[in-house]
Amino acid sequence: MTVLGYLVDAVSLGALYALIAVSVGLVFGVLRQVNLAQGEVITFGAYSLWLMRTLPTWLAIVLCFGVCIAGSLVLQVAVFRPLRGASPLTTLIATFGVSYGLEALWLIVFGPSGNTVSMLTNLNDALVGGAVALRWITLVEIGAAVLLLGGLLLLLFRTSLGMRMRATAEDLRAARLVGVRIGRVVTWAFVLSGASAAVVAVLTTVQTPLVTPTFGLNLIIVALVGVVLGGMDHLGRATAGGFVVGFVNSLLGSVLPEQQLVFVTSLTFLFVVIVLVLRPAGLLAPRGANVERV
Amino acid sequence: MVRRPWLKAVAALAGSVGLVVGTVGVAGASAGLHHKAAKGKPIIIGAVIDETSTMKPFDQPAIQAAELWAKKVNASGGVLGRPIQFKVYNDQLQPSATRSDALKAISQGASILWTTCDVTFATPAIQVGLAHHMLVVSPCTGTNEMGPSRFGAPGKLAFSFGNAPTSDGAVLARLLIQKGWKTATVVTDKLLTYFVDVCQNFTTDYQKMGGKIVTQLTYTTGDHTVTQVAQKAATSSAAATVLCTTTTPTLPAFVTSVRTLGNTKPIVGPWAIDGGFWEPSSATVSNNIWWSTYASVFGDDPNHQIRSLYSQMKSKGETPQTGGFVTGPTALQGIIAAIKRTHGTLKGSRLAAQMVKFHNVPTLSGPVSFSAKFHAVVGRPYRIIEVKNGKPHFVEMLAPGKYAGGA
Repeated sequence: MTVLGYLVDAVSLGALYALIAVSVGLVFGVLRQVNLAQGEVITFGAYSLWLMRTLPTWLAIVLCFGVCIAGSLVLQVAVFRPLRGASPLTTLIATFGVSYGLEALWLIVFGPSGNTVSMLTNLNDALVGGAVALRWITLVEIGAAVLLLGGLLLLLFRTSLGMRMRATAEDLRAARLVGVRIGRVVTWAFVLSGASAAVVAVLTTVQTPLVTPTFGLNLIIVALVGVVLGGMDHLGRATAGGFVVGFVNSLLGSVLPEQQLVFVTSLTFLFVVIVLVLRPAGLLAPRGANVERV
Repeated sequence: MVRRPWLKAVAALAGSVGLVVGTVGVAGASAGLHHKAAKGKPIIIGAVIDETSTMKPFDQPAIQAAELWAKKVNASGGVLGRPIQFKVYNDQLQPSATRSDALKAISQGASILWTTCDVTFATPAIQVGLAHHMLVVSPCTGTNEMGPSRFGAPGKLAFSFGNAPTSDGAVLARLLIQKGWKTATVVTDKLLTYFVDVCQNFTTDYQKMGGKIVTQLTYTTGDHTVTQVAQKAATSSAAATVLCTTTTPTLPAFVTSVRTLGNTKPIVGPWAIDGGFWEPSSATVSNNIWWSTYASVFGDDPNHQIRSLYSQMKSKGETPQTGGFVTGPTALQGIIAAIKRTHGTLKGSRLAAQMVKFHNVPTLSGPVSFSAKFHAVVGRPYRIIEVKNGKPHFVEMLAPGKYAGGA
């Protein structure tokens, strides 16, 4: 592969993690609560694609969005709403429990072997072959991330809903005092988070068609590290952090000598540790910013 | 936790007609219809296995097939007049449950322990068995660690009826040489020692046979680098790619990436990639893929007993996904052979002393041999499966040859 190939791959994986990071960051932004069960929403979406494999592709994808948004809203109603006002640690542990429970549920319902999704497989075809080895899915991932993140930026900065979301993220009590309907804002955050999970589910199953009970968990762990790396209390930085972790992970996988490839994950996490030691508030946070990680 | 008795009763009732027909058919053909059912004190085998989690696809078909085989044995007189009885405990791979279930099995009369097909997960049960001086067997552990190499001297009582990785590597090397694929790219998933062992053995044996390794690539399932590795493999000039991994999501991801980048050369893997369930649906992607296994689950196994057993399991709704199911009856046949050789004793040391002398003992999966060095099977012929245009099918039997023991 060429340097260009490495970079495009790294941008592609970074974009995927940015999408996951944004789905975590949206909820954290308005509620100051970490949703560790977000990975299970992605898994749910991926399994829904398998369940709807006989339907036309467009319909299956639309339904996947419905499933992910519904799953996200169920989490809001069943977990976050009852725990509103509880300490962030309580919610963290609660969502960890939910994640663990859902993983067991997938195991019982779908079994451990995995189920193969065969959707949009043509996106795996090579756009440019040979040493560059560029595939359509790589570009689609980057394009989807740009569109989604761009759309989100427009929503946040050009609509009244976005303004209310930003106000809530800034100071929930003050927002309520000036008439923002917090419940509605929170619901929208979960809807957008679910939609983002659906995009991740669709894009990931194109490249990794075997859906197993840990499908989303494997993604969310790295993305969460990215969110912390970027700065959890700011959506843009959290998203950038997700991108950076994916980018570094992919780049290390491409450039490390063969015998050192086993250290990809270790080196990625070492990079995160070094960044957090040097910039405790996050890679992109202003110097002297408050350090509030969880 | 122990399997619910009423569940077993319902399952037994539901499958009784098929079982009786199947049992009479198979047992009648091989042993005659006039045997009396075994009536002596049962020989209880305590199976501490996973029926829920990641080892379920391996453990469950093996035990289900073994239970069917035990019924056949019992219907034709049992083992020296004694029936075989399995008591199955689902440990869900939780170490504390694995240990307590092993203790429970012993307290409920088990004379022999049967463990999950991963030696690490099985260790708490193996240690209990060894401490109680019992014979401990695993039907399909794919390493040589079920024995002294991991458990020291007490490990003499532990055996696996799975193939040693030396055999797995050797048979893949023979396959490539036989097919004329003289150059290979080797891709190792470092998730498990087993994968590393198989690929290392393949590399050594292949080079001894005259093959040339063009590229060595590695990744670890979960490190998100499989796509990059696949891209490197796709551009390799080698005649074939040998991939040592299992049916995790990285397997179809690797195959998809290699194929869609234009590489249509053979992809070859060990038993761990057996079963067609993971294949991408595209016939151009799922093409020219090869693996070695214990039995074909695609309806074309050359052994009629295996086909019959597969049909019985299928009719019970227990369709095995991989050929590993035959290791269940194989392990049971090995246990029976050892008991017969000791004239009926169930003492672990005496059974193990016989088992370690096994040399080409005939079983459903082929001849089984053990030695002081190898407590896993070496030299047994494999079924070679090829996926052609999305359809897996049996190609040939292939023995690993002289390098099977890591020579």
